[in-house]
Amino acid sequence: MSNASPKPGARSRLKGVYFHIAMLLVSLVFLAPLVWMLSTSVKPEDQAASGEIHLLPTPPSSVFAQAADNYSAVWNDRTIRFPLYLRNTLIVAILGVVGMTLSSAVVAYGLSRVQWRGRGVVFFLVLATMMIPFPVLMVPLYIIFRELGWTGTLKPLWVPAWFGNAFNIFLLRQFFMTIPPQLDEAARLDCCSHWSIFWRIILPLAKPALAVVALFHFIYVWNDFVGPLIFLTDRDQFTLALGLQLYQSQSGNTPWNLLMAASALMISPLVVLFMLTQRTFVQSASTEGLK
Amino acid sequence: MGTPASTYELTRRAAVGAMAAAAAGYAILGPRGTQEIPRGRVVLDYWEKWTRHEGDAMERVVSDFNKSQDRIFVRYLVVSDIGQKSLVSIAGSRPPDIIGLYAFNVPPYAEMGAIIPMDELAPRAGVRMENYAPGVREVMRYKGGWWAMVNTAGSIALYYNRAAFRDAGLDPDRPPRTIAELDAAHARLLRTDSRGALERVGFLHREPGWWSWLWAYHFGGRIFDEASGRALLDSPENIRAMEWMQGYARDLGLDRIKIFAESFGNYFTPENPFLTGKVGMIVQGPWIANLINAFKPDLDYGVAPFPTVHGEAGSSPVGLIDTDVLVIPRGAKHPEAAMEFIAFTQRQDMTERLATAHCKPSPLTSVSAEFLAGHPNRGIGVHYDILRSDRAFVPPRTRVWQQFKDEFDSVVQRMWRLEVPAAEALPRLQVRVQSLIDQAADQQFRRHGGADPAPGGAA
Amino acid sequence: MSVPGQATHSRRSTEQRAARRQVLIGLTWVSPWLFGAGLFVFAPMAMSLYYSFTDYPLLEPPLWSGLDNYKRMFSDPTFLRVVWNTTAYAAVSIPLFTIVALILAGVLAKTGRMSSFYRACVFIPTLVPLIASAMVWMWLFNGEYGLINKLLAMISIRGPAWIVDRNWVLPSMVIMSVWGVGQGVVIYVAAMQDVPKQLYEAARIDGMGTVRQFIHVTLPMISPAILFNVIALTIAAVQVFAVPSVMFRRPDGQNPAGHYYTMYLYENAFVYGNMGYASAMAWMQLLVVLLLTALLLFAGRRLVHYARV
Repeated sequence: MSNASPKPGARSRLKGVYFHIAMLLVSLVFLAPLVWMLSTSVKPEDQAASGEIHLLPTPPSSVFAQAADNYSAVWNDRTIRFPLYLRNTLIVAILGVVGMTLSSAVVAYGLSRVQWRGRGVVFFLVLATMMIPFPVLMVPLYIIFRELGWTGTLKPLWVPAWFGNAFNIFLLRQFFMTIPPQLDEAARLDCCSHWSIFWRIILPLAKPALAVVALFHFIYVWNDFVGPLIFLTDRDQFTLALGLQLYQSQSGNTPWNLLMAASALMISPLVVLFMLTQRTFVQSASTEGLK
Repeated sequence: MGTPASTYELTRRAAVGAMAAAAAGYAILGPRGTQEIPRGRVVLDYWEKWTRHEGDAMERVVSDFNKSQDRIFVRYLVVSDIGQKSLVSIAGSRPPDIIGLYAFNVPPYAEMGAIIPMDELAPRAGVRMENYAPGVREVMRYKGGWWAMVNTAGSIALYYNRAAFRDAGLDPDRPPRTIAELDAAHARLLRTDSRGALERVGFLHREPGWWSWLWAYHFGGRIFDEASGRALLDSPENIRAMEWMQGYARDLGLDRIKIFAESFGNYFTPENPFLTGKVGMIVQGPWIANLINAFKPDLDYGVAPFPTVHGEAGSSPVGLIDTDVLVIPRGAKHPEAAMEFIAFTQRQDMTERLATAHCKPSPLTSVSAEFLAGHPNRGIGVHYDILRSDRAFVPPRTRVWQQFKDEFDSVVQRMWRLEVPAAEALPRLQVRVQSLIDQAADQQFRRHGGADPAPGGAA
Repeated sequence: MSVPGQATHSRRSTEQRAARRQVLIGLTWVSPWLFGAGLFVFAPMAMSLYYSFTDYPLLEPPLWSGLDNYKRMFSDPTFLRVVWNTTAYAAVSIPLFTIVALILAGVLAKTGRMSSFYRACVFIPTLVPLIASAMVWMWLFNGEYGLINKLLAMISIRGPAWIVDRNWVLPSMVIMSVWGVGQGVVIYVAAMQDVPKQLYEAARIDGMGTVRQFIHVTLPMISPAILFNVIALTIAAVQVFAVPSVMFRRPDGQNPAGHYYTMYLYENAFVYGNMGYASAMAWMQLLVVLLLTALLLFAGRRLVHYARV
C-alpha cells in the first residue's frame, strides 16, 4: 500500500481507530498461544492440565514461587538436562554460523566479483540444489556420516555449514551484485589480489547481508529438529529442540507446565535477539525479494 | 550501511555482542555430558524406555548392581522412540551395550542380525530358560535361538468396576466368562441421560484401543501362524470378532460415542474413563493399578481373564502376554559384562522388586509369597495365571510386525467407524499384509538362503 | 619476425590462457560449495537413487530389486493416503498463507512505530521451534480441555475434536501454517516498501482507490517475490514432518488423516527397515517438487512482471 499522507478529518481518524483495533486483535490472536504458554509455565502441574481459563495460577500470589519452581525444575532435571542441551546447541550454532557466513560469502564472491566462463552454470547448479527435498538426502547422509565416523558426535550438524548453503549463497550474491564494480577495478589496478579485495572491501560493505545470513542460520540451527533426530543418538549430545521432545511422554503423562517452561526458556533468547536486531530482519527481506 | 547514527544503535550492537560473547563462553565452558564414572571399571550403556516411577525403579536396580561389584559400571539412559534409535545406533556402529526393547522387536532384530544370541552367554552367567514361565519363554526364543531376556512381563485382562456392577444389578463376584455374558453386562451397565446421550457404557473396544488385534484370540482364532508364515486375518474367527466389535459401534451409535469419548481424559490422568466410571469394563494390563492407587484409591475394581467366546469353565485363561525384553546389540563391546548385568536383574529379588514397582506380575516360575501378597494390584493373581497359561498368546512373531500392526490398526479404525464391513475389509487386509510378510521372507531367503538366523553369528 | 598471423595467434592464445586462468580462479572461489555439495548433496542423491532400486534394511547390505519399490507404491494404500493428505494440505495451505501474508503485508507496509510493532507481533511466532509450537497447539486444540474449544463454548459453539476427528485435521494443520505467516509478511513488506511511490501517485490520479491500487500496482510490482515465496512454500509443504509427527501419533494408532508423506518415508526408513522403499519415495518426492517448480516458473513467466530498474 502507498505511504499516503492521511487526509485530515474525522472520518479518516475513525478509520484509523478501527484499523488499530483490528490490528490489535490480530496481534492478540497471534500472540495468544505464546501468552498461554507463559501462563501454563507458571502453574503447578494439576492446574496446567486442568483446562480452565486462568491466566495466573490459583492463588495468583503464588505465581512467582511457582514460576521459580517450574523453571528451576526444568533447568535442574536430571534426565532432561537442559543446560547440557543448551551448550550443545550453542556449539552447533556458533560453529555453524561462523562457517556458513564465511563460506557462503566466499562462494558468492566467486559467483559475482570474478568474471569467468562457467559462472552461470555453477550458479544455476546452486539454485537447483535449493529445490532438493531433505528426505532424498536423509538416509544416504546418515550412511556417509557413519562411514566418516561422525555418528555419535555433533559434527553432522555443523560441518556441512562450512561449505556454504545454496540459499545463503544466493542471498549474498544478489547483495554483492549491488556493489559497484568500479571499486574492485580500482583496487585491482592498485595492487590487490582477489583475496584482499574480498576481505578488505567487499566484506565490510556487506555487513548487513552477512548479519542476515548469520542470524537466519542461528535461528535455523536453534530450532532444527529433524537433523538432530536422525544424526544424534547419544542423549548427552541432544540439542534443545530434541530435548524438548523428551518431555512428551508416550503414555500421555506429559508434564505440561514443565514442557511450557522449557519451551519458553528455549524461545526467549531468540525473542531477545529478534528485538535487538529487528531492523536486520526487515532489511533481510529486501535483499531477498527478487528484483 | 554507513556508520551508526545513534547511541541506541550502539547499545543494540553492544547487547548483541555481549550475547555472542556469553554464548561462546557457555559453549566452551558449559556443562559436559559424562557423569562421574569410577575409574578402572568397564562402562556399559543401558538404554531403556522407562521414565518417571518405572524408570526410577529400574535405576535403583542399576545402582544396586553398580554397588554390588567393582568391575562394571552401568549407565542408565532413558531413550524415547527406542525402537528407531536402537536400529540407527546399531547401524551406525555405535550401539549401547544393553537395550530394553519390546518383545515384538525380537523377530526383526534377530533376523537382521542386530542382536547377539544368548544361548551360550546366558547359562554361563547362571540364567536358565526353566526359570521362566512358559509363555514368557516363547518371547525369549525365536527360530531356535535364544535372543532376549525378559525384563518385565505383563498380561492383559479384564478390569471391571465392581461398584458399577452392583449398581447395575450384576454380581461383582461373577465377572463375565463368555462374550455373550460380556455383552449382557455391557447392556446392563449402559446408562443414558434424559436426552439419550451416553453416561456410562459397559465396554468400549477403543478404550484404550492399544491392542486392536486381540479380539480374534478370544474368539478361538489367531491372526498369524508362525510355522507357515501366514497371516490369518480373514479367518472366520477374526471376522466374527470384528463383526462383534462393529456391533457395539452400531448399537451405541457413532455420534453418541464420539461425543461421549470427547469427555474422556487421557490415560494417565484422573479423568481416565475407567477411573471415573464412564466405562465399566476395559482390557488393560496390570499397570493400571498404579494409576488407580494414585488417583482413585477407593475404586472398587475387579480383575478377571478376558472372556472368550465359549468360556469353558475350568480351562486355562486366554490373554495377551506383553513383555519388555533386554537384548545385547551387535557391536556391543563387552557382551559378557552386559550379560552379567542382565543376569543380576534376573535374580528373583530384583525381578520381584521391579515387578512390584511397575505393578506387573513376575516372569519367573518361582514366585515368593510376599510378592503376591504385598502386590499393589489386587488382581495380580489373574495376571500371573495368564502368564503360566497354555492358552496365552504373544504378539505375532514376524519381522514385519510393526507395519502389520500399523496397517491392522488403521483398518480397525475404519471398521469401528462402520465405513466398511468386516467381511470385506479383512480379506483385503489379509492380501496386503500377506504380501508384506512374503516380501520380507523372500528378501530373507535371497540373503540367507533359507537358513534361520543362526545363533553364534549373525549373517 | 613480424609476421602478422603470428602476432594475432599469440594474442589469442594469451587471451585463452587468461580466460582459463579466470576459470581456475573462479573455481577456486566456489570450491567450498562444489566440494560440499558433491559430498553432501550430489553423492547422497546418487546413493538414494541406487537404494531406491534395492531392498536395504540398513543393517544388511542392499539387495538389488529393480523397479519393485516403485511398483509397490501404487498398490500401497498407506502411500496413496499420505500422498492425498500431503496434496490436500499443500493445496489449501499455500494459497491461504500467501493471501493472508499479502493482505497483512499490505496493511502493515507503512513505516511507523505501530506498524513495526504489529509486524513484530505477527513475526514472533515464527521464531518458535516447530516442536514447541506443535506441543502448544496440541494443547490448545484439545477437544475437551483446550483453550480454543473453551472459548468457543463461551459463545455456545461446540468445538470439534481438532486433532482427533479426521475431518478436522486439515483445518488444524492449516491454522498452524497460517500462524507462521509472519515470515511471509516480513518479506512482502520489504518488497512493497521498494515499490516506487510515483506509481501510486499515478494510479491515484487515474482515480484508483486503495484496493485497486493494491491489485494493479503493488501486486504486479512484487510479483517476483511472490513467485519465489510460493515456490519455497511448495517445497516446504511437500516435506511437512515435524508438526504432524508430534500431533498425530497416538498410542492407539496413527490418525490416518494426519499421516503425511515425509512421515511415512521416515517410518519406512527407520522403523520398518525399508530403506530402499523410503529412497524410492524420496525420489518420487523430488520429481514432484521439480515438476511443481517448473509449472510455477512457467506460470510465472506469464504472470510475473520484472521491473527493469
